[in-house]
Amino acid sequence: MSEKDANPSAKDALVGGTLFGRWEKLRGREGTVVGITAILVAVFPYLFARAPVVSGFLQGYQSLATLILIWGIFAIGFDLLLGYTGLLSFGHAAFWGGAAYAAGIVAKNVSGDPIVMVVSGTLFAVLLAWVLGFLSLRRGGIYFSILTLAFAQMFYYMAASPLAFLTNGENGLTGVEVGSFLGVIHLEADVPSIGGMLLGTWLYAFVGVFFVGAVAVAYRILNSPYGMVFRAIRENEQRAEFVGLNVWRYKLMAFIISGGFAGVAGSLFTIHGAYVPLQSLFWTESGDIVVMTVLGGAGSMFGPVLGVGLYLYIENIVSTIQALTIPFTGIVLVRDFGFYWHLLLGVVFVAVVWVVPDGLWGILNRLRELAVDLGSKAAKRLRARSENGGGGQ
Amino acid sequence: MARDNKSLNRRDVLKATGAVGTAGLAGLAGCTGGGDGSNGGDGSGGGGGGGGDDEYPALGNFPIEGDTATFGFNVPQSGPYASEGEDELRAYQLAVKHLNEGGGWVDSQFDDLSGDGVLGYTIDHVDGDTATDADQARQSASGMIQRDDAIMISGGSSSAVAIAVQGLCQNEKVMFMCCLTHSNDTTGKDCVRYSFREMFNAYMTGQALAPVVRDAYGEGLQFYQLYADYSWGQTQQASMEQFMTDVAGGEQIESVATPLGTSDYSTYLSEAQSSGADVLILNHYGLDGANSMQQAIDAGIDEDMEIIVPLYNRPMAEAAGGAIEGIYGTVAWDSQIDNTPSQEFTQAFRDEYDRTPSGPAQLAYAQTLQYAAAVERAGTFYPPEVIKQLEDYEYDNIGMGSETMRGCDHQAQRDVPVVQGLPASEQSEGTYFNIVNITSRDDLGYACDAGPAAECELGSYE
Repeated sequence: MSEKDANPSAKDALVGGTLFGRWEKLRGREGTVVGITAILVAVFPYLFARAPVVSGFLQGYQSLATLILIWGIFAIGFDLLLGYTGLLSFGHAAFWGGAAYAAGIVAKNVSGDPIVMVVSGTLFAVLLAWVLGFLSLRRGGIYFSILTLAFAQMFYYMAASPLAFLTNGENGLTGVEVGSFLGVIHLEADVPSIGGMLLGTWLYAFVGVFFVGAVAVAYRILNSPYGMVFRAIRENEQRAEFVGLNVWRYKLMAFIISGGFAGVAGSLFTIHGAYVPLQSLFWTESGDIVVMTVLGGAGSMFGPVLGVGLYLYIENIVSTIQALTIPFTGIVLVRDFGFYWHLLLGVVFVAVVWVVPDGLWGILNRLRELAVDLGSKAAKRLRARSENGGGGQ
Repeated sequence: MARDNKSLNRRDVLKATGAVGTAGLAGLAGCTGGGDGSNGGDGSGGGGGGGGDDEYPALGNFPIEGDTATFGFNVPQSGPYASEGEDELRAYQLAVKHLNEGGGWVDSQFDDLSGDGVLGYTIDHVDGDTATDADQARQSASGMIQRDDAIMISGGSSSAVAIAVQGLCQNEKVMFMCCLTHSNDTTGKDCVRYSFREMFNAYMTGQALAPVVRDAYGEGLQFYQLYADYSWGQTQQASMEQFMTDVAGGEQIESVATPLGTSDYSTYLSEAQSSGADVLILNHYGLDGANSMQQAIDAGIDEDMEIIVPLYNRPMAEAAGGAIEGIYGTVAWDSQIDNTPSQEFTQAFRDEYDRTPSGPAQLAYAQTLQYAAAVERAGTFYPPEVIKQLEDYEYDNIGMGSETMRGCDHQAQRDVPVVQGLPASEQSEGTYFNIVNITSRDDLGYACDAGPAAECELGSYE
């Protein structure tokens, strides 16, 4: 799943034929990864918004589940650039918002078919990423970040005023009518029977398919020689160049791929809301995706998705908690707790970056390693005891 | 967009799992003020609508499960308008209290309301933070609609937010009662069936201000405009130009766009100063308005020119301090307006919070009661019936004279208070303006096929 598992063979030898060992062998395979992702995507909205007790505790709701997946796609793409290629873009709002606007404008003027919207939004984002990448990647490091930020802000101001006839300016793009999928399925309608129980709306299913697809594509890229080159560039750009790689071209490609992911996510965002806020182009959106990615763990496949989940959870759910009470009692700890959600998010972010620089995924990884360690020790002890016992007879 | 089955199905799923799920809410860390979850659980076992609502199909969050109806109050609690949002929230909470327990206008002005809940339902509420950000406001509103089953949403301290949220409410078939939103578009090209606006708009501000300015400073003035370069600023400057020219016989020297969020207006202001115009109109709102006003005064422009700020709000007046002295503008409502409903509201608000209510607070309070009264008249929470009760409804009970909630664009036809800023020495907490004139609605507004209303298509009831 990530480069952490570079030497599984040593562990395998230790763990041997236990369940752990079999799992360790399976867990890195593409099929496993995609399969598990699909299962998680399928049960997530149920657990989050509808399951007894659990969802009551989480206080989730369907549309937030959808939104988390959409931002998740964005974050996976962003992490390809930040975590794997080592390029910090501060202008991804341009791709996210640009695709959102493109999809919305296409829906208003050409066709509201969701597929057409996603394709046109993504296409726009890819082309834009090509151009902006071409211009921004002339410089490295902080200059690259500033250039991307500047370009993205240019789009924000363009959309706010000179292009207001297209974008409806400050009020955001209203009146987007999303058509039905393949002409028969209304995305807002519920999936019938058990599917509805698990997934909820067709919209979620639609987004979910893209999410699983995004995971599969990202996984394939990262585990291909191409992805290897991205990592080589991150580790040492000069060395990669000396090996004979055209570093600039790979960086541009990473930028475009990541822009493409942002484009898919941005288009889905328009389908999700049937509206495009002007803020989707604002620099805070670029900042959000950086924070989410780092919070979850840059340089890991699923970390950024965890970051997205936590971020959006705090933003949308913790912020509505009116009084923090001790569970199952009426004792109020903090009044107007939700009011401090910005502070809470900041504290969580600082704590995570400080204690575990590899983010939430890093925490999970350590827990897993701990479990593997304990497991193998226990297995060894068990084996030793059984050998001893055998010798005694 | 055909969404006919959607809410029905979602409800069904919720019903299947909701009983246990919502009951879990009650014991949770959080949201103790936000809704008595166990009530929702009680009602959901039945599967049908409650009480006498059987005659209407399920739509949006109708029928209400249990015996508690939840309102969602979506106001800015962070960001530049947080203080305005806080005051709105106070008024909303006061309205909920009065709806359940009586008091304020419920006893005196709204005959339809009993002071014992609405249609036998106890009113509860949840609140959310818009952060004056259209995107976040929508997230917050969709949480209220989907998770808290809010039957009505109200709020907004910015037109972009109101427009974004009312679009969502139209899709979700949940009613939206606008609080402060001044753009023509809210009841113009972005209008929706499920939203009603009590607040007047930029167009009416122009109509109300121009005669006052003419009477104060004389006819045939040359005026110079600066405007914030986004939709509200653009429509505001367009209507100021129109009415300063038509009504006050003025002549526009120039109208200059300033980027939204500008902090330094000195170059714009010095150009305005050297233009030789008699009047300077600053079409800026919020902190931008406070900045440009303050800097205009610091530059001594008020000595050569008369300054006009079309729309005031309280954070703006607080931030600008004494700089607003003598400057004309309009406000949503002011506690000094001399009539019974206004005084009663001011008193009730003071009794509860020991402070003077702001204009948006009156809007918030009035809109909540207005909705509740319409529900009582309709005899159901079924949104299309409530909407029909509000359309073309005539009333005279919220302190702004005789009003009509016009059916063609859902824009209240009402009076507009024109005010003048007080000098710093006469300002006190909650008092920043001197009321110059309450322009009658007969001198304001536009026909259903004219002005912003010409572009309005309300959309469907169901």
